[in-house]
Amino acid sequence: MPERFDKYILKNGMVLLGEPMGSVGSVAFRFMLPAGAAQLPDGCCGAGNVITDWIFRGAGDRNSRALCDALDGLGLHRAGSVASSHIIIAAALEAGNLAQALDLYADIILQPSLAEEQFELARKLAVDAVHALDDDPRHKVMLKLTEQFYPEPLGRNTAGEIEELQALTAEKTKQIIKAKFNLSETIFSVAGKYDFDAICRQMEGLFETDSQQSLEAIALGEKAGLYTHIHNDSAQVHIGLGTETVRPADEDYYNARVAVSVLSGGMSARLFTEVREKRGLCYAIGAKYHGLKDAAGIMCYAGTTPQKAQETLDVITAEFNRLTDRISEEEVQRAKVGLKSSLILQSESSSSRAGGIATDYYMLGRLRGLDEIKSKIEETTADSVLEFLRNNRFEDFTVVTIGPKKISVNR
Amino acid sequence: MEFKKETLSNGLTIIGELNKSAKSAAVGFFARTGSRDETSQINGVSHFLEHMVFKGTEKLNAFEVNEAFDKTGAHFNASTSEENTIFYAAVLPEYLTEVTRLWIELMRPALRDEDFKIEKDVIKEEIAMYKDMPSFDVMDKCRNFYFNGHPCGNSVLGSAESIDNLTAEQMRDYFLTRYVPNNMVVVCAGDFDWDQIRSIVANACGQWQKQHAERELKHYKGSKKQKRIEIANLVREHICLMSPAVSAQDNRRFAASLLGAIIGDDVGSRFFWELVDKALAEIATMIFGAMDGTGLFCSYIRCSSENVSEVQDVISAIFRSVSEKGVAEDELIKAKNKLLSALVIKNELPMGRLVDMGFNWQYLKRYRTIEEDVSAIKAVTVDDIHLLLKEFNPGDFTQLSMGPPQ
Repeated sequence: MPERFDKYILKNGMVLLGEPMGSVGSVAFRFMLPAGAAQLPDGCCGAGNVITDWIFRGAGDRNSRALCDALDGLGLHRAGSVASSHIIIAAALEAGNLAQALDLYADIILQPSLAEEQFELARKLAVDAVHALDDDPRHKVMLKLTEQFYPEPLGRNTAGEIEELQALTAEKTKQIIKAKFNLSETIFSVAGKYDFDAICRQMEGLFETDSQQSLEAIALGEKAGLYTHIHNDSAQVHIGLGTETVRPADEDYYNARVAVSVLSGGMSARLFTEVREKRGLCYAIGAKYHGLKDAAGIMCYAGTTPQKAQETLDVITAEFNRLTDRISEEEVQRAKVGLKSSLILQSESSSSRAGGIATDYYMLGRLRGLDEIKSKIEETTADSVLEFLRNNRFEDFTVVTIGPKKISVNR
Repeated sequence: MEFKKETLSNGLTIIGELNKSAKSAAVGFFARTGSRDETSQINGVSHFLEHMVFKGTEKLNAFEVNEAFDKTGAHFNASTSEENTIFYAAVLPEYLTEVTRLWIELMRPALRDEDFKIEKDVIKEEIAMYKDMPSFDVMDKCRNFYFNGHPCGNSVLGSAESIDNLTAEQMRDYFLTRYVPNNMVVVCAGDFDWDQIRSIVANACGQWQKQHAERELKHYKGSKKQKRIEIANLVREHICLMSPAVSAQDNRRFAASLLGAIIGDDVGSRFFWELVDKALAEIATMIFGAMDGTGLFCSYIRCSSENVSEVQDVISAIFRSVSEKGVAEDELIKAKNKLLSALVIKNELPMGRLVDMGFNWQYLKRYRTIEEDVSAIKAVTVDDIHLLLKEFNPGDFTQLSMGPPQ
């Protein structure tokens, strides 16, 4: 089936996007609400997690249990997360139940009950989740890395800070919801089996409102520290390392993606080969491109026992540095095949397509077809990647470690 | 969907389900072997062997294997459990024959001493990594505690000590008795040419020698013991409960899955309303785990130390209530809807289909369509759940907890 996208904009500015998939019986949808961690008022770090819980505790004329029963009755699988820019509320279900699900989600977003006693429970769970991060050092190290790496407030800890969560009130949180669930800047996407005309009519009925004021631009502050160590008597030292690169909208974006793939795209990539295959330093080692709209980085994780931690960090930084010296055409070829293959394999899942088109629209202001992405990947060469790297060296690293031993970070 | 099957004279079975509308294809080798097939002297060998498969053959070294996979853009991996070792890849259809040939070659690995030595360090790092994941560690330890000497309690990873003591020679011996054609199945799903894949596998694997590869199947009802382990750097309480249930071969397995969802699905279940919604625990789930000849219900709960005794009381009350009063019709309907949609969504991907087909073959020695599974789930009644509860009371559990020193 030829590729097709659907798009419709409500009068209030809310964007509706769709990607039909011929062979599936499921449908997935998501709302990107501009209430991410970076959008929150100072001193409210973690409010996003409270909000994503609280709005599901009753909405419209349903109490918490009736709402949950209604969602479960549709066999709907919920997913939600708090990102830097948005609160994301997503779901996947059998296509026949979509219209009923959208009615329920309109209630959750527009008419949540927000009862005071339910707020306390949602806040307590958010506080507990922050405590629980201490038992999950691998996850915590990457949250801390994001916080240290990006300029304030882009990398704000999405889980939140205990003191700020404890100081948060129901009233304050209600104000945040009112101000930030701004439909004029909300993106809705759907992928799988659906009737777009029917969705547009239904969404107009549910979400058409007066236009809302644009959100204020975020002022970017400074980056935090270059090296942070958090002591924990864990079995491994968990290392997070980040370095700056170009943003998703940059013309060199695909050169950056290929460069990251040469470094860590598959098992033949350099980090896996040098750190694990040749030296046996780690089980888990990998680096990924991580793009926000206003900043981007390459984020690397490695977990290793304390006596090997220094060598692991040294080998990783050496590989980042060595990338600028030489890249073979074969490496670029493998990176390109890997990127193209991932693209097509992901296109078989309705959830991943609903996520892909919404993110693309937010980052780029338009949708990219598979053919466009494939040809952009195809255009990269060893020379283009090397030229990009020489102009955008991976040389300043932000490092966070959690474990029993500190390591030395050379600059 | 069209199903295809062939069994070679050496016992190797090849099965495939064709879906011409898929954009990808998946291929996998399923070996019926895991930690339950190990003795204590070689504990951890199945998982270590899974790693060693990627270290190459007489013709290919590890770097060449990695390059060969990456050239196809495959999403590939392998995993080892108590009773299965599986190797799989999802690729664009044009790369399927190449990646199938590669897996076939790797199923006869060189198992070189020098590779064994360096991979030992990687395995020990993996063991250390899971120590820092208490949600995993508590289940691994609880399984051992529950099975109390039964082979299903053997740790998949082994311990740093058992891995240190393991020799390459012991691994080679284990390989020769377990990776035999009559103990394996090759599975294909998605858009592929059956005749082509069938003949590639038949030509390349037809010479593999058949061998006796048995497994002791014994149902086990659990030790019903309770234990708490103190770990200095933990801040939360991690609780794992295990109780007996039906096996993967038992037709009541669908009722058991539904009971698991009614009690412990992550939203809308009894655990959810009594523990998570009330903020007594931040996670509380229960799932049914089907195994070869046995099965169990497994719950995982994470909460603060202060809440432990209240959480325990609530769990006991939930199990008592389910056991004495049963479940309600509407609970069953919701659980069915959730299970059915998860099944359909998972099976839309060739990779998801491959996994279900492979396990069905390993446990049942037959192909099941998605429609058969859908019908079986729909057919479960409240009475079926009550009959199951009479025989398997989730309140008769073995418990292992991990948390900070008190």
